[in-house]
This record gives sequence, C-alpha cells and structure tokens, in this order.
Amino acid sequence: MLNQIASEVKATMSIYEAQEDALYGVVAEFAHPGELLHAAGAVREAGYRHFDTHSPFPIHGMDKAMGLGNSIIGFITLGGGIIGLSLATLMQWWMSEVSYPINISGKPFFAVEPSIPIMFELTVLIASLSTVIGMFALNGLPRPYNPLFYSTNFLRVTDDAFFLHIAASDKQFDLGATQKLLKDLGGKNIETIRDSGEED
Amino acid sequence: MSETVKRNNPLFWLIDPMRSTASQADPAYRYSWSQMAWMLPLAIGIAGLVVSAVGWATNSQQFYFSYLIGWAFCLALTVGAYFFVIIQHLTKARWSVVIRRIPETLIWSFPLLAVLGIPVLLGMHDLYHWTHHDLFDPTSENYDAVLAGKESYLNTPFFLARVAFYFIFWTFISFKLYTLSVRQDNDPDPAIPKLQRKYSAIGLGVGAIVVSFAAFDILMSLDPHWFSTIFGVYFFAGSFMSIMAVMILVSITLQKNGMLKNEIKLDHYQDLGKFLFAFTVFWAYIAFSQYMLIWYGNLPEETVWFRHRMEHGWEGYSAVLLLGHFILPFMLLIGRWGKRWLPYLGFMAIWMLTMQWFDMFWLIKPVMEAEHASLSLYDISSWFGLFGVFAAAFMYRFSRHALVPQRDPRLHKSLSFTNS
Repeated sequence: MLNQIASEVKATMSIYEAQEDALYGVVAEFAHPGELLHAAGAVREAGYRHFDTHSPFPIHGMDKAMGLGNSIIGFITLGGGIIGLSLATLMQWWMSEVSYPINISGKPFFAVEPSIPIMFELTVLIASLSTVIGMFALNGLPRPYNPLFYSTNFLRVTDDAFFLHIAASDKQFDLGATQKLLKDLGGKNIETIRDSGEED
Repeated sequence: MSETVKRNNPLFWLIDPMRSTASQADPAYRYSWSQMAWMLPLAIGIAGLVVSAVGWATNSQQFYFSYLIGWAFCLALTVGAYFFVIIQHLTKARWSVVIRRIPETLIWSFPLLAVLGIPVLLGMHDLYHWTHHDLFDPTSENYDAVLAGKESYLNTPFFLARVAFYFIFWTFISFKLYTLSVRQDNDPDPAIPKLQRKYSAIGLGVGAIVVSFAAFDILMSLDPHWFSTIFGVYFFAGSFMSIMAVMILVSITLQKNGMLKNEIKLDHYQDLGKFLFAFTVFWAYIAFSQYMLIWYGNLPEETVWFRHRMEHGWEGYSAVLLLGHFILPFMLLIGRWGKRWLPYLGFMAIWMLTMQWFDMFWLIKPVMEAEHASLSLYDISSWFGLFGVFAAAFMYRFSRHALVPQRDPRLHKSLSFTNS
C-alpha cells in the first residue's frame, strides 16, 4: 500500500519504476514540436497517465495537451510565506521584548511598525525559497539517473529531437499495443528501454 | 494627416479632438451600444453637481473640499491611464493592445479636467491655508515663520503657473498619443509606432516629475507645514491601481453588451487582475514606507499629519483604509481563480475604485476638519457629479472610434494572447 502511494507520488514527478522484467518503457521520436504536441494529446486521450514528453525547448500548450493542470506550487509558496511571517513576528517580539529589551527614544520595546520590514522580508525570503525547493521537489529534480539515457538516440533531446516516453508502470501499458499506438501517431525510432538497475 | 481622419471643430475639441471614425471601424470593433452609455452617467453627473451646487450656496468651504476630493479622484484615474498607455508603447507590449483603447480614450480627459478644476481655483482661499497673506507678514499676529520660509514656492502666482504647466504638458502628450492612435486606425503609416514611442519616452521622463509635483501642489500643500518626498509616488500608486479597475469594468461592460466578445479573453482579465493586485500591494508598500519613517523619526512637524488622521474619529477612517485598501483585497485578489471569475473580478474592481476615492477623501478631508471626523453628503455628490461627467465624456469619446487600435502592428499578438 505505502509502496504503491510512493510510486504514484513519484510518477507525478515523472519518476517511473521499472517492472519486474526490467521493462522501463517505450520511447519514440517525433519529427517536430507540433507532432509531439499532437501525440501527447492523443496518448492522453488513449488513457495513458504515466508518460512524459522531452524537447530541447518549452513547447507552448504542452502542459494542456498532457493534461498536467495547475501546479500546486502556489500553495507551497503560501505556506512558506505564512511560516516566514510567523517566524519573523515571533523573532521580533522575542528579541526586543524578552531577550534584549532596549529603550530607544521612549518607543515601546516591541512595536509592529519597525518590525514590518523584517516581517515582510522574511515572508518573501521563506516564500521564495520554498517555491524554488518546492519546484525542484515537484519536478523530481535533481535526477542524476534516468533509464532513458540507455538509449543513445535519446541523447539528441538536448539538441534537435523530440521524444515521447510511455512508462511500463502505466496501468494501460502493453508493449505491443503501446508501440503500435506510438507508430500510428507518427513516432520513429521506437525503442524499448530496459532498466535492470545495473551498469551495462 | 490622411483624408479620412480629420480634426474636430474647436468647440468640440475638449471632448474629442478627432472627428468620429466609427463608420470606418472594422465591423468587429465597432461600437454597437445605445447612447444611454454616456447619457446615463451624464444625467447622474449633472444631478450630483446640482446637489453639490446647493452645498456651494450653503457651506462653500465644505463644497470646495468635497469638490477637490471628487476632482482628485478623476485626476488620479487619468494619470493612471496616462502612465499605462506610455508603458505599453515603451515596452512594445503585445498583450494589452486589445484593451489599450480604453486608457487611450481616457487620457484625453486632461483638458476637461482642467476646465472642471476651475472651482478648485476659486476655492483656493478655503482650501489652501498658505494663500492667506497675513501668514507672511511679520507684523501680523498670524505670522508663521515656517510658511514664510516657503513663500517663494507656495505663493499663488507660482502655484497657478505650475498647475498650468502640468496640464499643458499632460494635454500635449495625451493629444499626441490619442490622435496618433486614432489616426493609425485608418492610416497605415509605418512611422506611427515610432512616434508613439517617442512621445511616450518624453511623457514618462518628464511626466514622472510632473505627477510628483502635481501631487505635492494639489494635495500635499493642503497641509503646508507637512512634507513627504514619497507623496508623489503614493499618488501614482493609487492612480495606477485604479486604472486597472477601470479597464476591467469597461471591458466587462462592453462584453456584456455584445462588443469585443472574442477579442478580450480571460487571459487579458487575469493579467489586469494581477496588475490590480500588484498595485494594491505597491500602494501599501509606499504608504507604509511613508508612515514608518515618520513614526521612526518622530519629528512633530511630520507626525502631526498622521496625528490628525488618528484621533477625533479619523482613526476609524484610517482603519477602514488599511483594511479595505490593502489587507482584505490582498487576501481576496491573491488567488488565480478570482482573476478569472469575472463577476468577482468586477466586484473587486468596484471595491478598489471606491477605496481609491476613499484614499483621496482620507488625504483631503481631515485638513478641513481635523477635530471632527465626518462624511458629508456633498463629498458623495461631488464624487458622483464629477465622475459622472468624466465617465460620460469618456464613453461618448469611446463610442466615436474603433474599440481597439485596429491597425496596430501588434494587435494580432494580443488577439492570440494566452498566459496559461
């Protein structure tokens, strides 16, 4: 049960696990971004969920075609902001009222007015840090090991090639049918990736 | 100037310097609503001004202050529109082209506002304490050494010359930006975008200083002992915020009445909503920057301004301003959903416009009655009166031309704009 939840969470970061027979998935190359965009929509409509697209540059409308929806990153930012605000308030109060009270031209030890810049800055700081860290986490980064790199053809993804990858962990996955689907959509150089977790 | 685009006759110049080009507008961009769009605000405006005239007859000081509040509100909207148009040209903005005609039409309110500003000049003796001559006379019992030191700046002839300069400058830049854009609708002169950028550059650089000094002269000098160098930015922050609200409301109204149905999309609204949110926060940032330094410095001549707004009932008004202009809108506008749900966004736009008026009220009214907080009927009637006339002139002018800059080279980018 827990393993299943963990692998589903990892799948949202597009980290997929190889099946028992070391089958990791199928990757197909597409001629241009338009084809990849179309293929992503078609693969989603065919019912696949564990798939990802790879391209040298961002493609407009790809998140919509893949059905990714809105990221939850905004809520992570909000949470970070609230934590930052509370921490700063607590810190300002503790330092000026409890730990080291100094009388400065008769002003109250703890006052909101001079604390607001600190509250503002810490809100922004923790909110932005949690945004960056949250963005990395949601994307499953950094990711030094990716079984797709077993394909030499796939290395062109940072250069001039567009790939779609369907993972074997998808409920719909069937080696023959999936390969046929990708072929029908115009995929070329369709490769089956195996990941035994060992070096070649 | 091409054959099809002509200047208007001089009598009409105040309302619209260009002859109507509505018949040459692309059918999709043609105004198709009834004349009620400007007649109704005009009727409300005249009714409001009639009520205010009663105030002038019975309590002229109250009238002048109320009138200045309403007038400053309209001026802030026009200043906001002025900077919005300028920034769009200078950044060669693509997203905003379909809604740019709204602020572009609004900036031609400067000459009308100059005429509507005459009662403010008539009431200068009531409004501006520094116009009293005995303040500068060392033998008088009203002699004020601080104000006597400011006499070379705060004197009536120089004040009038400065305000005249502000309006001439604003009118000049607005004339160029407005007429160039209307001309472009039927005159595909490729030099126009470059000219628009040129006048925008002048308008931005000089305009920043002009708006700052206009805020000093018209609003800050109401309390002549007090000074705050950030005051002009404060005025700008509120005005730039309120033009976003106006663009949202005009767009919603147009679409409700069947115009620009496919041209203005949720993506445009979302970006306007982001700007509305951003400048609500920016206003608070500037307002707080002003407040905190004065709180810290604790100098009597500076703190008195806030002291006036924190006792005798004004503390309640200040709390409403803080809550209604920043804290609540911050929470209500932060989400993405609210910016893409038009009834909600429209409600927030009305809210923020009301708060912009309230901000002007909060700046001006305590000068009149620091000892006794009050909201007069004439404050409301002058607001409705001036804003009604202002909105009527805007809607009338807007109905006379294409609803979008139809030959703008970046229009197609704006039509296909997405932000998701």
